[in-house]
Amino acid sequence: MTVEVTLTANGEQRSAAVEPRCTLADFLRVELGLTGTHLACEHGVCGSCTVLVDGASARSCLMLAVQAAGAEVTTIEGLAANGAMSTLQEAMRDTHAFQCGFCTPGMLMTAAEFLRDSSRPDERAVREAISGNICRCTGYESIVKGILLAAERAA
Amino acid sequence: MTVTPASRFVGQSVPRVEDQRILTGSGRYIDDIVLPGMLHGVFVRSPLAHARIDSIDAGRARSMPGVVAVITAAELEGIVQPLQFPMEVANYLRPVFHALASDKVRHVGDQVAFVVAESRYLAEDARDAVEVDYDPLDPVACMEHAKDPARPPVFDDVASNLFYTETMDVGDPDAAFAQADRVVRETLVAQRVAHVPLDPRGGVADYRAGTGELTYHATTQAPHNLRQALAGHLGHPAEQLRVLVPDIGGAFGQKALPCREDLVACAAAKLVGRPVKWVDDRLENMASGGHAREETLELAAAVRDDGTILGVEVKMELDQGAYPYVGLLSPLFGWIVRTVIGSAYRIDSMRWALDVYATNKASYGPYRGPWAAETLARETLIDRIARELGLEPVEVRRRNLLRPDEQPRKLMTGPTLEGLTSLASVERAAELVGLEGFRAEQQRAREQGRRLGVGFSTYIEPAPGPPDYWTSIGFPAGGERAVARLEPDGHLTVMTTQAPNGQGHETTLAQVAATEMGVPLEHVRVLHGDTNAIPYSSMGTGGSRGATMASGAALHATRAVKNKVVSYAAGMLEIAPEDLELADGKVSPKDAPDRGLSLAQVARAVYSAPPDGEEPDLRSAVFFHAPRGGWSGGTHCCVVEVDPETGVVTIVRYLVVEDCGSLVNPAIVDGQIRGGVAQGIGIALYENALYDEDGNFLAGTFVNYLVPTAMEIPPIEIEHLHGLSETFDEVGYRGVGEGGTIAAPAAVVNAVFDALGNPTDIALPLTPERVLELVEQTAAMP
Repeated sequence: MTVEVTLTANGEQRSAAVEPRCTLADFLRVELGLTGTHLACEHGVCGSCTVLVDGASARSCLMLAVQAAGAEVTTIEGLAANGAMSTLQEAMRDTHAFQCGFCTPGMLMTAAEFLRDSSRPDERAVREAISGNICRCTGYESIVKGILLAAERAA
Repeated sequence: MTVTPASRFVGQSVPRVEDQRILTGSGRYIDDIVLPGMLHGVFVRSPLAHARIDSIDAGRARSMPGVVAVITAAELEGIVQPLQFPMEVANYLRPVFHALASDKVRHVGDQVAFVVAESRYLAEDARDAVEVDYDPLDPVACMEHAKDPARPPVFDDVASNLFYTETMDVGDPDAAFAQADRVVRETLVAQRVAHVPLDPRGGVADYRAGTGELTYHATTQAPHNLRQALAGHLGHPAEQLRVLVPDIGGAFGQKALPCREDLVACAAAKLVGRPVKWVDDRLENMASGGHAREETLELAAAVRDDGTILGVEVKMELDQGAYPYVGLLSPLFGWIVRTVIGSAYRIDSMRWALDVYATNKASYGPYRGPWAAETLARETLIDRIARELGLEPVEVRRRNLLRPDEQPRKLMTGPTLEGLTSLASVERAAELVGLEGFRAEQQRAREQGRRLGVGFSTYIEPAPGPPDYWTSIGFPAGGERAVARLEPDGHLTVMTTQAPNGQGHETTLAQVAATEMGVPLEHVRVLHGDTNAIPYSSMGTGGSRGATMASGAALHATRAVKNKVVSYAAGMLEIAPEDLELADGKVSPKDAPDRGLSLAQVARAVYSAPPDGEEPDLRSAVFFHAPRGGWSGGTHCCVVEVDPETGVVTIVRYLVVEDCGSLVNPAIVDGQIRGGVAQGIGIALYENALYDEDGNFLAGTFVNYLVPTAMEIPPIEIEHLHGLSETFDEVGYRGVGEGGTIAAPAAVVNAVFDALGNPTDIALPLTPERVLELVEQTAAMP
């Protein structure tokens, strides 16, 4: 049995017929080809699969596609168009924030939501904001600096 | 000709080439690969640690929707050759094992069958319908079990669970212990840990029956080694076998060697005639992807009352789990521990013993600084010596570390030490942390019931190590190849044997090559991860070899191309090569810069009609063989506060004074160090790939295997020393991939023990429960 799921992904209306058990992450990655969203634990701890659903961060591995029907979903591909970079992405590049790139999409979506909702955050607030996202490569310092730099540039 | 100054890109924190795709979601990792007609494979894995397989009934699974095949050991007979370490090694047992478990399962997560279906969902449905009838055996769940003759062997074809044993005297340990004022002892139990790359292991096998070509997209650190293993074990002609490596989201050693899953996936693609993808889920990666570091060390130091170390005794036991890694000798890591445990210290005698045991656990393999037990053991022992003698731990290091004027000198086990700044790194770390002031603050805090502590850890790492290091460990790794090719448009392609998984080689090797060639960074492309294109290496990325070996090879390959360009240009301009200069993408007469030819002009001329008698293209292959090798090293310093009520350890300050020679890209170097330290902190305080006494695996999720988050890892201060000249060994760069993880655990443990007094034996990780035990223990001490 399949159900038709229609949602807005990065501003574009998209539909696919999937089993009701299909996760939002698999819907995005397999049905819509948005492979920028990564799956690293599939039990909601590591945060790699974080996307924005109607503007709020969500673990797309713990959400079913049918739950996101009708929602506006933003993935890393939606942060900036055609290979361009947002202020956040540029700041991350300038601080050498990431290494392997696997936690990156989730970290960026978490940071994008955080920066939208807070002005001039301090280091502590940034660390708390990303404490639900695991990075195995960097020790986090370069990521924290990147988010602080993005906040400074956006101010 | 004049060489362009080698300082244009090298030494600068240029933005990473990789970041454009990584930051925009355009990376292509293994699970992003989709091929026409591709199927999905999942493994049926054992829920038991040790059991005979009485029967496998896949009938119901095979009839389920979307299922194309269920493959068991029976189907692989004659297709995948049995596995065994290929060479006889004295005192080492070499069991025969199989890509899929045949007679019995040997650890929780052992692979029993492979279900291939139209989607991952359908494959997992069918996986749960495969009925395996197990007859449980007594588990060999720990090294104590392995020593118990009443427990069964893990492998029936070898008689014992003691897989390897050796003893060795280096120097004169009897004399050292006879001359000692006292003997200081330490027992150290290091736990099993997991690599935890966020991107799990996986592969996509694509077999074309029409051509016989097998292409395997794989998360490997060593593509040629994997290709060779696949060719050998599948009986597939090597020239018809291509390994392609996508972006890899971290590896840390887990992806260094071929795994049994690789063989099954490739065999499955040949059996079903369609591409097959497999990717670990997190539980599989944790339970079956391999572990590291489970070692117990009994240590003794013969010391004088002034802190001079005359000799050491080291008894190491290593739990290698069940299956050996394909092509890996587990005692190798013990051999490295034996070889480098003396480090930069004036230690001339050692009594050494190593035992390696097989148990019903996941494979023990290489993880970021696989021999790190030597640093953990030695550096915690030194602090124990300091506490027992009432000396400052820094003072014990000062009295025993080699001074610059004592180098070059041989380690007691053979390798040459030279250019080491270990002593300077200790002094500088003590200065930066303000040791005297800290002791006063620690005393005041203690009077208020607060427990502060400081810990140091001094290490060297063979990165890549001098040639006599490699002969000493019995694993001659040799040099490294690179190929450079000037393209018709004057841009440069550098082909490396590295298979990067976060290290930024596309950036650093381009920096080296662009600087040498005198072209913009954007005109250099670093090509990797395609066995049809890259030169051969049995190692790939590992052993912190990239900085010296891959940079050196890229430098020399580029230089060879540059010389060809100048030679051709000399013919075109009818001028002697020595009167030409290559700079800013042009070859020009030194006295007439406006008469120059662009690299593109030279390249087009050569590619359209190579001059008679000359080589037909602008391509050079080199083998770089760092003749002196060398070491990285330094000192880590950690300040902690231990809460005696809760047992929680908070890292207040962490600093690294280290020496990896010249830096190609300082931001990338610092990133490697910080990331390594974070993993070392995880080992010291949080991470534990725990099994219970029945061999059940208790750490299959991120809820019970605790990877540090941004709340646990403090800012890490870094200062660089430069003990080697920039031209040492032709390139002055040394590796930094592993040092952080090697040094950090001892720094943290020493800090915690400094905070608590002098607790007895060390067992990791120092969880709150464990720390509370130590608090209780030290409270009872006089």
